[in-house]
Amino acid sequence: MTVPTTSQYTPPHAEALDALRTRFDEIEQKSGARAIGVAVYDTETRLTFHRNGDRWFHAASTIKVAILVGVYASIHHGWLLPQSRLHVRNRFFGAVDGSPFRVLADRDANSEVHSAIGKMMRVSELARHMIATSSNLATNLLLDLVGLDTVQRSLDELSIDGIDIRRGVEDEHAFEQGINNRVTADGLAQLLRLIAEERAFSPSLSRDMLDILHAQEFKQGIPARLPRAVRVAHKTGDISTVAHDAGVVYPEGRKPYVIAVLTEWSPSDSGRSATIADVSHAVYDLLTSVGGGRG
Amino acid sequence: MGESFRFPLSVVDGVRLEKPLRDALLPGRIIYDENGHARRLPRYFYEIPSWEQAMKVQLSPNFALWEFIQTDVREAAPLRGFPRYIPCAITLLAASLERFREAVGTFVHIAANGGYRSPRHALSINATPHCWGTAVNIYRIGDVYLDDRESIERYAALARQLLPGAWTRPFGNTRGQTDDHLHLDLGFVLSMPRGAPEAHLGFSAERRAV
Repeated sequence: MTVPTTSQYTPPHAEALDALRTRFDEIEQKSGARAIGVAVYDTETRLTFHRNGDRWFHAASTIKVAILVGVYASIHHGWLLPQSRLHVRNRFFGAVDGSPFRVLADRDANSEVHSAIGKMMRVSELARHMIATSSNLATNLLLDLVGLDTVQRSLDELSIDGIDIRRGVEDEHAFEQGINNRVTADGLAQLLRLIAEERAFSPSLSRDMLDILHAQEFKQGIPARLPRAVRVAHKTGDISTVAHDAGVVYPEGRKPYVIAVLTEWSPSDSGRSATIADVSHAVYDLLTSVGGGRG
Repeated sequence: MGESFRFPLSVVDGVRLEKPLRDALLPGRIIYDENGHARRLPRYFYEIPSWEQAMKVQLSPNFALWEFIQTDVREAAPLRGFPRYIPCAITLLAASLERFREAVGTFVHIAANGGYRSPRHALSINATPHCWGTAVNIYRIGDVYLDDRESIERYAALARQLLPGAWTRPFGNTRGQTDDHLHLDLGFVLSMPRGAPEAHLGFSAERRAV
């Protein structure tokens, strides 16, 4: 990929951004989504764009990006090494009253971590499973190791607003009590921007986190309608009432942009991934087409 | 193991180890169990020079040394490398487990952090026989994962029957109970094999001979 030293891209005109907003309104209306939140930051033109950017959504699995950052903060501070080994044990304590719970294997997208129960896995392996296949067991193991406080402090250290972590995943009792992790599109975009610009702790650790995000296996959202050559480092999140995708998009011939697309739905609604893909495609078109982002 | 067999690990006096290791092992020190009872930690340890050696040394026909030293990042840093140290009572535990292994007739899997762990291991909140090298957490026997009442209680009963004096943690999900492994221990056993230095008695072996 060639990155121009003098950018041929300029921020889109106000009319183009208005057209994008209109396009998002149409996508929202057509899809039947209850709400769509979008945040974009273009590292090429420094354009920022928000639509419901400060609206809070249930985080679903996008909270795993924050946990990834908490893990790498621990590595940065010397408390952990990527190759540190961790006992794979399926037993966690709930956020409400500390009662134990397990991550059910048949509700988890990843079986590899479950098959290692009783043994040990490396922190870097667990981090990859947490992001690439959204392993809930890996997520809770890593969160249990570094702690909620460390994750929240790491976000504070990076001056990230808009990510509120309160518990691990699959904590049904906490869910019933309304204790949930929350994110805004702006919050996720801020965090991914720091990683994309290699300013999250160190360039090396940022690149490590990007490598993990590049390993994402669920590609029905942001990447689905983009050209094949476009690489995307991202994390999805999906439960009955929300579907999200947030990541860093690397178009050919220009610097990357960050995009977070958060959507809320009725449990019976369909077409969630297609909606995220439509939003992603509209942003890609704007930032890479002549008369949009190209000067 | 024929007549010529010699146990390949040397015994070391923990109080003579370097300070970071002493601070992690706390040799001969008193710590307290969950009931507030004082327990004296082991002072004599086998020295394990390398992971390769741990893989090679059989403590019993079916249990190798490495199975008892798998600790994760929660173990004290000086004990995550080599040489590593393990209380001498580990051989008694292995012999007991061998009896159990013969009775169940299949593989017995010891969990990570479920063999020896030091008193500085993050999971060693109170004195636990894991710090004496006399406890194991078994998470799987053959193809059976011990994660329900039926399997845990069945094998716990068998262990107590086979190993008089052994203790098993009761099934349950509250403090002091277990629901995802079988905890089996021989208590706070101190072992001082022949060949161990005798400095702790206040006089040397040579002086006693005089």
